[in-house]
Amino acid sequence: MTLSRRVFLKSGGLALVSFGLDPLFLARAAYATRRPSAALPNRPILVCLFQRGAVDGLNMVVPHGDALYYRERPRIAVPAQDVVDLDGYFGLHPRLAALKPLWDNKSLAAIHAIGSPDATRSHFDAQDYMESGTPGVKATADGWLNRYCQHDREHADTPFRAVAFGPQLPRILAGTAPSLAIDDLQAFGLRAPQPAVRDRLTRAFEALYAGSATGLLSTSSQEAFQAVQLLKQVDPARYEPAHGAAYPRGRFGRAMLQIAQLIKADLGLQVAFADVTGWDTHVNQGASEGQLAARLAEFGDALAAFAQDLGERLRDVVVLTMSEFGRTVRENGNAGTDHGHATAMLVLGGPVNGGKVLGQWPGLDPARRFEGRDVSVTTDFRDLFAEIVARHLGATDLTAVFPGFTPDRARFPGAIRA
Amino acid sequence: MKHRIRACLVVLVAAPLATGARRATPPGDESGLSARDSAYHALSRLAYGPRPGETERVAAAGVMRWIEQQLSPDDIDDERLAERERESEILRYDRGDLARLYFEIQREQRERKLAAGGARDTVADKAGPTPLEQHGRRLEGQFAQLAVLRATLSERQLYEVMVDFWTNHFNVFAAKGADRFLLPEYITRVIRRRAMGKFADLLIATAESPAMLFYLDNWQSVVPGAVPPAATRLQARPLFGRGPFAPRLGNPLRPDSMRPRAPQGINENYARELLELHTLRVDGGYTQQDVINVARIFTGWSIRRPQDGADFEFHDWAHDYGEKIVLGITFPAGHGRDEGIRLLKLLASHPATMHHVSRQLCERLVNDEPPDGCVDDAVAAWKRTRGDIRAVLRAIVSSPDFWAARNIRAKVKTPLEFVVSAARAVGADPDTTPRLAQVVARLGEPLYLHVAPDGYPEREAAWVNSGALLDRMNVAVALAAGKLPGATVELDSIAPLPMDAEGLVAAANNTLLSGTMSANTMTVIRAEVATVRDPAAARALAVGLAIGGPEFQRH
Repeated sequence: MTLSRRVFLKSGGLALVSFGLDPLFLARAAYATRRPSAALPNRPILVCLFQRGAVDGLNMVVPHGDALYYRERPRIAVPAQDVVDLDGYFGLHPRLAALKPLWDNKSLAAIHAIGSPDATRSHFDAQDYMESGTPGVKATADGWLNRYCQHDREHADTPFRAVAFGPQLPRILAGTAPSLAIDDLQAFGLRAPQPAVRDRLTRAFEALYAGSATGLLSTSSQEAFQAVQLLKQVDPARYEPAHGAAYPRGRFGRAMLQIAQLIKADLGLQVAFADVTGWDTHVNQGASEGQLAARLAEFGDALAAFAQDLGERLRDVVVLTMSEFGRTVRENGNAGTDHGHATAMLVLGGPVNGGKVLGQWPGLDPARRFEGRDVSVTTDFRDLFAEIVARHLGATDLTAVFPGFTPDRARFPGAIRA
Repeated sequence: MKHRIRACLVVLVAAPLATGARRATPPGDESGLSARDSAYHALSRLAYGPRPGETERVAAAGVMRWIEQQLSPDDIDDERLAERERESEILRYDRGDLARLYFEIQREQRERKLAAGGARDTVADKAGPTPLEQHGRRLEGQFAQLAVLRATLSERQLYEVMVDFWTNHFNVFAAKGADRFLLPEYITRVIRRRAMGKFADLLIATAESPAMLFYLDNWQSVVPGAVPPAATRLQARPLFGRGPFAPRLGNPLRPDSMRPRAPQGINENYARELLELHTLRVDGGYTQQDVINVARIFTGWSIRRPQDGADFEFHDWAHDYGEKIVLGITFPAGHGRDEGIRLLKLLASHPATMHHVSRQLCERLVNDEPPDGCVDDAVAAWKRTRGDIRAVLRAIVSSPDFWAARNIRAKVKTPLEFVVSAARAVGADPDTTPRLAQVVARLGEPLYLHVAPDGYPEREAAWVNSGALLDRMNVAVALAAGKLPGATVELDSIAPLPMDAEGLVAAANNTLLSGTMSANTMTVIRAEVATVRDPAAARALAVGLAIGGPEFQRH
């Protein structure tokens, strides 16, 4: 099996090179002929957040009603009295307490025992599969969020349609549909003390890249210059979060603030993406306090601030959190956890069927564990992603977004209100 | 397809510089590159780009001769860099000095927290850094800058390229606890000492390095049920990620759940990454059970308490002496540290490892999608020489693929490559402040701070995006205007003033791009600089546009 896959990969790569063409470049160039126009009001927005490093789902959404949880984790279980109870069996980690009001007003749901049908415990492969949307298939060139944008072209009217916040464009947005990578909204564009100098530099570089750039350099620069032009009207430096929202300091808080800012600027944002790192807790992960607790606090506080800042606008927005896999049920020799299988994901926003822990809980009984050690996957992550793409974003052709996968609406976990 | 290449060859051979091509290009090569083009290509891939006049010098002396010299870095005089290194304070600190400094900072932070009443949030941050913390940060910044400085100034360019390659291949995240003070020595004494040696030596040295043992948690991996001897029990207390070296007992800031305990079992982290990233690759044919057994083989590979210097230490009491089977090979019961070495040697010469690492080298030096030919040549050299890195490199640069037209300027520079090649192109002299390293960080590649063990990516899709491109343009304009702090620029060496628009375009083309500037770029730059009256400003604009423009992003 390995051999044939390798041969396939190799010949695929060769085929691209030997034509001397970059298909990605050609397809993106076709998009670039469209000019940006005004945004549509009230369009649905999806914000995807990737907890890179494999978050411990069992300490994020804690099965405090299960004695086995405490037996397997003598040093790192979250004590029942600390858990923010949700339904008598599951509860939030205490440092996610800021999310409880959203649970109470039914705009937050959790999905447990969700993950990939592929058994890999490699961070890189598992992240790759979750972003390509094709578990087990490495040859997929693009990411599923990008494929959604390719497939649903009527919205392809603004460079801000798909934006990743960070210095790199993630795999999930790689592909032929244009997407921006913005590390800092305020600093996006050519910088010069006088506006006239700045405009002149912008024009000069635009002409350089329009005439001489090839491949990805060409398409990325076109997207950049279109975005710069639109952003001029917004003045991102003057943004103040609304309703007293206080974002936590640090990279992730800043990314969430900028996503809220772009949503409110009405530049046509439909798909946003950000990373949040630091979940690979092999050693001393802590329980109610400690390493994981500190990461969860930043995570939960940023999500809560985002919801508060958006206020009414949250009614069009769904935030989906994901992580490549979960961690071992049993704590390891270093009061940490090793790479596991299923984890938990959160879904937040106006259209969410909230106040519920969704999915089928397989329990922690060793007999029902994956390979005897990890939480089994009972929900294929594509069932949740497909539900959101279909019922929130309104996509009609799900097989175009998740090739090789036959979506079955009966298997949707029910994260979006009917 | 073949016909088109032939046609290209004819055109290139007919070019005026082609007379030197016979001599300059490798034996048997039919690429038809001129001497200047092949020198530029070699300086782009096997170095961090040419300095003013360097392409011509290498072309005149013969590119293959230059490559041979680069393959023996110890024979190359590097006094200018050595002089600058001596200005770098960080190199006067050994691991022990850095550890002591680190502990002092930790102690200070704890005391401040306690004084503030043990509040949960980061009180210490709000008060601003203490002089000691500032000192620590300055040293960290200096070390990142040192990488930029060495890449820019060293005459041993291929060696510096290889140091960067292995630094990523054997990535360690410098902001994880003790790695803050373990990393400088790791780079200096593990990576830099073996970057052109035998792969097996490098692999073993990384496995035994305190930095890697800490980063991938192996130092706390013990056979289940292991009991440390009473005398070492305190040493076995784990440190952890962000705030290591926590107080031992009775600290009111640390609830019970966080108090460190002695390790109680194996940790798979290093074992998995060793197989997946350092050697075989994820599809290299190992199983989860292999991962567990590799972890068992490395139980007891640990470090002394960081307060005591964090040296490598094999803990007899923590090692699993049972029999293990890895990749179908039996490691009989009763062996200690020696079975780890045996496993590393076995992995270093495993066919999957040879192929994986050779392919990665070709991704770096030839093409993001490397042709099979150069990978096969590299693997053959690896087999023949049992993993001699210089022989593998020689095989790659002797492969026709290295010189093939479709691999010329086929790669996009990483942020480090972009910043360093720009600095070299304008003859810049970086200082020891961390400023240029901060520019590399802003472009997406903060040095030694890649969190995951896979290191920074080599493929262009990881680096080319709208935001990063705009940032590169900004850096180029600032550098050319002499406004990039941390580097003094001497543009007179490129284009002495006064010079008209035509002259500026020609100078930028020849010095910065070794004559590869496109007609469009020439037209745009000519038109822009023609409207600027101040000659120095016009020159800066020409240089800024050329470095920020599309041709300079490739190599």
